[in-house]
Amino acid sequence: MNKKLLHKTLRPYLIYSVLILMISAPVFYFATEELYIEDVDDTLLLHKKEFLKHAAPTLKFTDIPAWNRFNRDVKLESGKQLITDTIYFTTYFDTLDAEIEPYRELNFPVTIQGKPFIHSERISLVETEDLIKNIVFLFVAIISILLTGLFFISKKLSQNLWKPFYKTLQQIESFEIDKINQPEFANTDIEEFNRLNASIVKLIEKNTAIYKSQKEFIENAAHELQTPLAVFQAKIDTLIQRADVTQEQSEILESLNENVSRLNRLNKNLLLLSKMEHESYSGRQSILLSNYIQKNLEFFTEQAKAKHLIIQMDLQNDLEIKSNPVLAEILISNLFLNAIKHNIEDGQILIVIKGNQLIFSNSGRNVPLNTNRLFNRFSKANPSEKGTGLGLSIVKKIADINNWIVLYQFENNRHSFVISF
Amino acid sequence: MKLLLIEDEKELAIGIQKYLTDKDFVCEWANNTKAALDKIAIYDYDCILLDLMLPDGNGFEILKEVKFQDKADGIIIISAKETLEIRIEGFNLGADDYLTKPFHLSELLARIQALIRRKNFKGSNIVGFNEIQIDILSKTVKVGDKIIDTTKKEIDLLLYLIGNKNRVLSKGAIAEHLSGDMADMLDNHDFVYAHIKNLKKKLMDAGSSDYIKSVYGLGYKWKHE
Repeated sequence: MNKKLLHKTLRPYLIYSVLILMISAPVFYFATEELYIEDVDDTLLLHKKEFLKHAAPTLKFTDIPAWNRFNRDVKLESGKQLITDTIYFTTYFDTLDAEIEPYRELNFPVTIQGKPFIHSERISLVETEDLIKNIVFLFVAIISILLTGLFFISKKLSQNLWKPFYKTLQQIESFEIDKINQPEFANTDIEEFNRLNASIVKLIEKNTAIYKSQKEFIENAAHELQTPLAVFQAKIDTLIQRADVTQEQSEILESLNENVSRLNRLNKNLLLLSKMEHESYSGRQSILLSNYIQKNLEFFTEQAKAKHLIIQMDLQNDLEIKSNPVLAEILISNLFLNAIKHNIEDGQILIVIKGNQLIFSNSGRNVPLNTNRLFNRFSKANPSEKGTGLGLSIVKKIADINNWIVLYQFENNRHSFVISF
Repeated sequence: MKLLLIEDEKELAIGIQKYLTDKDFVCEWANNTKAALDKIAIYDYDCILLDLMLPDGNGFEILKEVKFQDKADGIIIISAKETLEIRIEGFNLGADDYLTKPFHLSELLARIQALIRRKNFKGSNIVGFNEIQIDILSKTVKVGDKIIDTTKKEIDLLLYLIGNKNRVLSKGAIAEHLSGDMADMLDNHDFVYAHIKNLKKKLMDAGSSDYIKSVYGLGYKWKHE
């Protein structure tokens, strides 16, 4: 699946942030704890110094029971020998809270009135734990707020940053080379986007110019061919009047005649196509579609007779369309003739008006047509057939001009062209 | 009948002149605006065939001049340039018909005859050929005193054949004449045969001579010895 540009930039940010958060939270926790323990150790050592300096020289044996009794966390013990200071973690059972609580304890040897004692002091770590937990929680909260903030800010920023890009994209998407309106790009304050816009404008201008000259070429070529074709036609018309034409010559003339008229049709249809691109068929009127079909039905029935085709109509409702009347007639005629031309002997043609759709469906060869090339100029199902190969591209062009949709369907061995108005 | 052909393409002009010239028509030719205006100033014409693209000017100028001087009965524009705008401008300036190049000479003749019939219309409009009489207004065909039942297309075909009598008409030319604007889309001309056959049968059943002859490989001919 394609991702949006915005998501592409945001994703690494997001992954990075979450990763950092996940790593930093425990690291922060342990670091804070470490620092705090260090702090507790310093306090214990300071107390030791104070004790040795102020209390120890004046302390007597008789004071010791009282000392031990009134000091909760400091004890003096006799009998045991200790060579150096020891500092360690330990736990005591708190009878009031009925909990085992963590402590940090410092033992060091001390001499009172000549006798060795062990001085032990402990500091509860219960509050410390809570503190650390609180700090960590606070830390996580702050970081989270920071990250969410960053996420939204960068999202917003990216959106703003890419706005000119999306505008350009939209313009290009709605651009059609055969329409007059050129895209207009607003100036941005970002150099890269200005460059992009400038190159697109250049590209479009160049392509439009090429397209225009091609179009003009087709039109001019078709126009220029008219006169020589007229001479050609006139000469053949004159030649066939001669009384001394032999059978062989008349066969050649017949073939010439057929081909000049085919050339003629090709030329006229090409002209029609390029004229439609010039929008010289803009005058729109309301047209009742069924009237148009009925009007030409006699002509088409006559055309269908050779193949013994059955024409059926199913006009379910009146469909009124807005179009240039000449083009509407050309559209219907082309669809009709198409249905006749590609039909089989004793085949059928069904014309349906349903809702806003006009459907021409006909029997024919039992293979679906190639939809990719169907509406292209000079695309023929059978290259050797006599048609111009322009009929369906004219249909498509007329539909495009009027913003109608043409669809081809192949169902139950029936070829259908559906025009949605 | 006197015609003026204004056309700069020599080959085409010769072809048209040759086809139109028989005992009914005198066809003069001018190949530029100046020559055309000179001729128009001196003579009156029944019909002018006017090409729009001329080496020394636009055919519309001639059209305006002809209408201003009232020098012709009818004007048919024959042009390679065909847009709706030009067509409309042509008709607005007073042209009677518009034929786009390339065309069949037989078609041109049929148009000229139709135009002259319209212009010379005096109460009735009947085209006759021996025992056959066609009333164009009421769309009826009589063989002798017998009215025969014909379709609009068949009358059209009959007029076309009689108008081009003794000339070979190719199947394509007949098909194009009968299908009008639809001709450009049509690539099968077989329907002509059915029309010819029906018309021939109806005429002969009513007692007319067999005028419609098929010319091998080429088409049909209204033959009058």
